[in-house]
Amino acid sequence: MSESSPAIPNRPACGPRIAQFLRTYYIYFVLLLVVAVLSMANLDRFDLFERGNFLNPNNIINILRVSAPLLTLAGAFTLLMVSGYIDLSVGSAMGLSAVVYALLAINGVPFLPAFAMTIMVGAMLGAINALLVVRLRITPVIATLITLSLFKGLALLLVEDGVSAIKSGGGRSMPAWFNDYGREGVLLGLPMAFWVAVLVTIALIVAQSRTLLGKYAAATGGNPTAAKLSGINTGGIVALLYVIVGITAALAGIARSSFMSLGDPLSGDGMELTAILVVLLGGTAFSGGEGKVLRSFVGALIIMALTVGMLTLVPAYYQTLVLGTALLAAAASNHLVSRKETAS
Amino acid sequence: MAKPRDAVSGSTKGIGVNGHPPTPALSVEGLTKDYPGVRAVDNVSFSIARNTVHCLVGENGAGKSTLVKMLTGALRPTSGTMTVRGAAYAPGSPHDARQGGIATLFQELHVVDQLTVQENLTLGMERSRFGFLVKSDLDRRAVQTLAAIEPSIDPTMRVSALSVAQKQIVEIARAASSGASVIIMDEPTAALSEREVERLFAVIRRLRETDVTVIYISHKLDEIFALGDAVTVLRDGRHIATKSLSDVAGQPELIEMMIGRSVFQTYVPRPSVTDEAVLTAQGLTNHRLKSVSFHINRGEIVGFYGLVGSGKTEIARALFGADTVSGSIRFKGKPVERSPKAAIRSGIALVPEERRTQGLFTSLTLRPNISVMNTRRLSTHGMLRSADERAVAAEYVHKLRIATNSIEKYAEKLSGGNQQKVVIAKCLFADADLLLLDEPTRGVDVGAKTEIYDIIRELADKGRSVAVFSSELEEVLGLCDRIFLLFAGTLEAEIVNGPDVDVSHILHVVTGSGRSVAP
Repeated sequence: MSESSPAIPNRPACGPRIAQFLRTYYIYFVLLLVVAVLSMANLDRFDLFERGNFLNPNNIINILRVSAPLLTLAGAFTLLMVSGYIDLSVGSAMGLSAVVYALLAINGVPFLPAFAMTIMVGAMLGAINALLVVRLRITPVIATLITLSLFKGLALLLVEDGVSAIKSGGGRSMPAWFNDYGREGVLLGLPMAFWVAVLVTIALIVAQSRTLLGKYAAATGGNPTAAKLSGINTGGIVALLYVIVGITAALAGIARSSFMSLGDPLSGDGMELTAILVVLLGGTAFSGGEGKVLRSFVGALIIMALTVGMLTLVPAYYQTLVLGTALLAAAASNHLVSRKETAS
Repeated sequence: MAKPRDAVSGSTKGIGVNGHPPTPALSVEGLTKDYPGVRAVDNVSFSIARNTVHCLVGENGAGKSTLVKMLTGALRPTSGTMTVRGAAYAPGSPHDARQGGIATLFQELHVVDQLTVQENLTLGMERSRFGFLVKSDLDRRAVQTLAAIEPSIDPTMRVSALSVAQKQIVEIARAASSGASVIIMDEPTAALSEREVERLFAVIRRLRETDVTVIYISHKLDEIFALGDAVTVLRDGRHIATKSLSDVAGQPELIEMMIGRSVFQTYVPRPSVTDEAVLTAQGLTNHRLKSVSFHINRGEIVGFYGLVGSGKTEIARALFGADTVSGSIRFKGKPVERSPKAAIRSGIALVPEERRTQGLFTSLTLRPNISVMNTRRLSTHGMLRSADERAVAAEYVHKLRIATNSIEKYAEKLSGGNQQKVVIAKCLFADADLLLLDEPTRGVDVGAKTEIYDIIRELADKGRSVAVFSSELEEVLGLCDRIFLLFAGTLEAEIVNGPDVDVSHILHVVTGSGRSVAP
């Protein structure tokens, strides 16, 4: 029965503010750190692209070119995870899109129609995921594991027997324009695929901060009951996000296929793990509600820089193990951060 | 605490509705809700004047929560009508209720922690153009409403940084600015500190000035006198009275209306009670408990009685080692290692509060459910002797008269009472010397209730000890040899049961008013 106890403090004190600052901007420091370390490392054995310093412009351009698929995917994947859902089928959707795109090109369909049709295929794949998760209420992990298998099976089916991918040969050849999208520099030496990734990311940053979609995704992931009681169509939001992820997976497939000059059904294998890693690295809560598109984009840059760096420093067959370890570290730090949030 | 008197004298202005046409904010007419075999709400009619704080009181099982569920659209009435400000009102969902002008502040908060206060205030009501958010009058109005009722909350802050009390106020502001004419608050002070309760009351009073009617549900009677204008009392699903609080003489009158002349199961003193303490707890303290000390004797049934949030479940979980607690617990003379596994080994078993989620494996059949706590006794070299297991299951089905045609029936197919018997059987088979029963008869029909009481008495007669944690007074009075009264995590009093137990004294103590009332 105390008559006067101190008023409830409203603003976080100075210490938490610094913590908040670090939590918001740490990803940029990590990027700087990775770049700094790699630019000091000896890259003499680096013969995949060009010998020399990491910060060599040609080298940077090369890294950004191979990064295009992941950069395209990261933003949409973030929004989906903010809403509390996940899509493990992105790699298969990417491989299937790559095959479809290459098939269309090799059969004489011009660039723009082939591009548009492949994106439509991606949207459909996303809609199938939405159907399983939202309408049939299958747990997202299970539903997208099912489609991971289905999409990959379909992609393998589209490739002729005895061939591993859609490519030139046997009397057919890829049209001359096929490589341009993923390789030919159009601005600052960077190809279309990279600039599309940038445009998609900007569009999603705007969507996240300025539209109903961004706010409702956060509400759906943060407190589904509250969102429903507020009259938000959470199912519709989630379905839309799956379709957007499907479209970016198709864009990623096109970028990869154009870069490699072939339609490889397995070209997206493991992409779901990389995407999760990137999103967690960007500070998105695995439990939903929290996360920023831009930070995942930066996270993707970090992962790609590291991957390329790793090629020079460690043998290739260590990479999956390193990826797994990085994922563990990201998940653990994510867990610690979210625990602190709830404790305060 | 001298405030109740002032508030009652001030409350008449709310009832009088100076000059306005007397359209009630809300009225219900002949409202009835039937469940199979039970009539939870029975022909209830009353109306609530505009711009008042209207309290709803009644014991557990009086029908308050069913009534509220009908008002909020979570349940449809079997018969009867509801009217909001003169217009017919028949919500089919919580969202309908909000459209109809009735908002509810649930005990579980419905704010999105990850969004800012401002974003929460307009959640689901945003204006947009081509999907882009557009600032609207609503944003301004919502922020103004919040500033009017609680200026200290910065609308740009993230909700995760707010206290529970502040989150509640954000929800209230959202309800008020969305045009709700009635806000239902269900035990809003359960998780608040005393200081926060006063703030909330100030907010509610300011709300009343802004053409909002509040339906306030609380077990804490002093709060009702401090805040309310009028009160509606329910008992056994029926409407007992709706009165201006200034016409209620005081808490004794209110308590009398709540308990009426309901017949308590008579307690018969049992000879098996000994003076030999089997468990002694000293100074148990954690986030909910404040230095709780007591002992339980061999062959004794003790009751822990208190309202929701008084710390009953916390004591049960602490004794069972499921929650961390400081202080000492000695069982059969030895300190108890704090884990459920160690508790079971040393002879303590817990029948948890939520039978379906914490007590039963609903997707398994009776047989493994009964044997699960002591499979060690039924196995050789890690292999289960299934014939023995079946025999044990059959034995307990028979002993506890569990109504089932087979021990291979799935636990989820049983009625609530039989499910509870399975959980008790599980604990009995664990060979517990001390059985902790948290709300042992919640959601159990009357017949099964009596049978469960008989089982408990029989156990105690055989020299086991039983602790019953209950929010049903009738249950504790009918069953327990000694009763501990809890309020807000403190053990306020110990009562030896007998024919001359003063019921209104017990209610005074557990509603927190006993603290300031001189004996």
